[in-house]
Amino acid sequence: MAKVKALKCKECGKEYPVEPIHVCEYCFGPLEIEYDYDEIKKNISREKIEKGPKSLWRYIDLLPVENPTVGLSAGFTPLIKAEKLGKRLGLNNLYIKDDSVNHPTLSFKDRVVAVALSKAKEFGFDTAACASTGNLANSVAANSAASGMKCYVFIPANLETNKIIGSLVFNPTVVAVEGNYDDVNRLSSEVANEFGWAFVNINVRPFYSEGSKTLAFEVAEQLGWKSPDAVVAPLASGSLYTKIWKGFNELKMLGLIEDNPPRMYGAQASGCSPIYKAFKEGRDWIVPEKPDTIAKSIAIGNPADGPYAVKVAKESNGDMEVATNEEIIEGIKLLAETEGIFTETAGGTTIAVLKKFAEKGVFDPDEVVVAYITGNGYKTMEVLEGHLDRPIHIKPSLQEFKEKVIGQKVEK
Amino acid sequence: MEAIKLKLIYPEDKIKEPILSRVCKNFDVEINIRKANVTDTIGWLELELTGEEDQIEKAIKYMEEQGIEVSPLEGQVFME
Repeated sequence: MAKVKALKCKECGKEYPVEPIHVCEYCFGPLEIEYDYDEIKKNISREKIEKGPKSLWRYIDLLPVENPTVGLSAGFTPLIKAEKLGKRLGLNNLYIKDDSVNHPTLSFKDRVVAVALSKAKEFGFDTAACASTGNLANSVAANSAASGMKCYVFIPANLETNKIIGSLVFNPTVVAVEGNYDDVNRLSSEVANEFGWAFVNINVRPFYSEGSKTLAFEVAEQLGWKSPDAVVAPLASGSLYTKIWKGFNELKMLGLIEDNPPRMYGAQASGCSPIYKAFKEGRDWIVPEKPDTIAKSIAIGNPADGPYAVKVAKESNGDMEVATNEEIIEGIKLLAETEGIFTETAGGTTIAVLKKFAEKGVFDPDEVVVAYITGNGYKTMEVLEGHLDRPIHIKPSLQEFKEKVIGQKVEK
Repeated sequence: MEAIKLKLIYPEDKIKEPILSRVCKNFDVEINIRKANVTDTIGWLELELTGEEDQIEKAIKYMEEQGIEVSPLEGQVFME
């Protein structure tokens, strides 16, 4: 029996065959993978997973793919006990899940793209596409190149080319659309719905987003098959956050962990916080925003999964917070100085929000808390310009070195 | 004929105006509303717009000029 039964509408529950579709034709709700958990339960065990490949594919029984062919080395990133950062924040059991070293393009997107494009190949697609200038484009272009798929990347035309060198190197077809971000957005949706391409976060989105569950699976396994008490994760479209929650719930349901799933804390930038605002104002719908933040990789002004993220925060007894540009920079620096990890602005937002919640006392000092670091700081170093200490300039003289660097008084 | 699935969000001051009715009268498009929530402070609708491409484009432009937020059903898929 197949582990995937159908696609099911998250709103009205109507079922559809497993095809590259993403919207319910009746109520326009998003489609979600419907698994046969009874069947999965017969096959899955901690031991079987532990013997699997050192990648996210060790959890293939809980992913909507039969035969992975793309992104075979994605996932299984380090979970680090953050002793020094924990000490600063008064947390004795703080961990960092470090997806800044994901393979091959150094962000959590390598997880979702591995699942999306493996499934796309099973569907018979030979072309992948996305609309992005950042982590998503990097991962789609790299994985397309490695797996022999054609690749189209849509961007607004007024963008400086140096912003997309990290994608151009993989030689995708880049389509520069004359218009703003909203125009690129609408055109992408139209292309996805008309062409026989795997547009990763549109028509294969139900499969794509399942890849984020592995962030929960890996943390549970790395903690010795335990759920943390609380996690902090960034909120962009809301998909990653809701899928981490789903991942822990699946492990619990299948008996792979005994503890209850964690409280879910969400982090947004104050310059783009439509999900945070909906949560705080008790709304189940999102008012779109025009983003104005340095945290570009999580600046989604009109997030598709926003209402579901709000629901998860409530269900899990979690909360949401925001961080200003200054706090995001401080968050990046704090993680770097204490744990030696250089994250991008999304990670800075997560650390800034973790710090706020720790200061508010929402975590018991001995609770196990996991912060998800989803991207790498070496990609967006420009945000730190003017925020770091300058080098100490000296002449090539031992006397100057002693005086200016070491602070010794030298007899003349 | 083209069909496009859209989400419309109305600002508070536009809720009382029959904008969709005007869209149907002024442009050669059909509207099929699938889901909506309209209160005294906010209105959002999810609908399908059917017609020739240029008529759809003009209808969307008109709605945006009226202050309505028009986005594809998928929300923002573009990511920096």
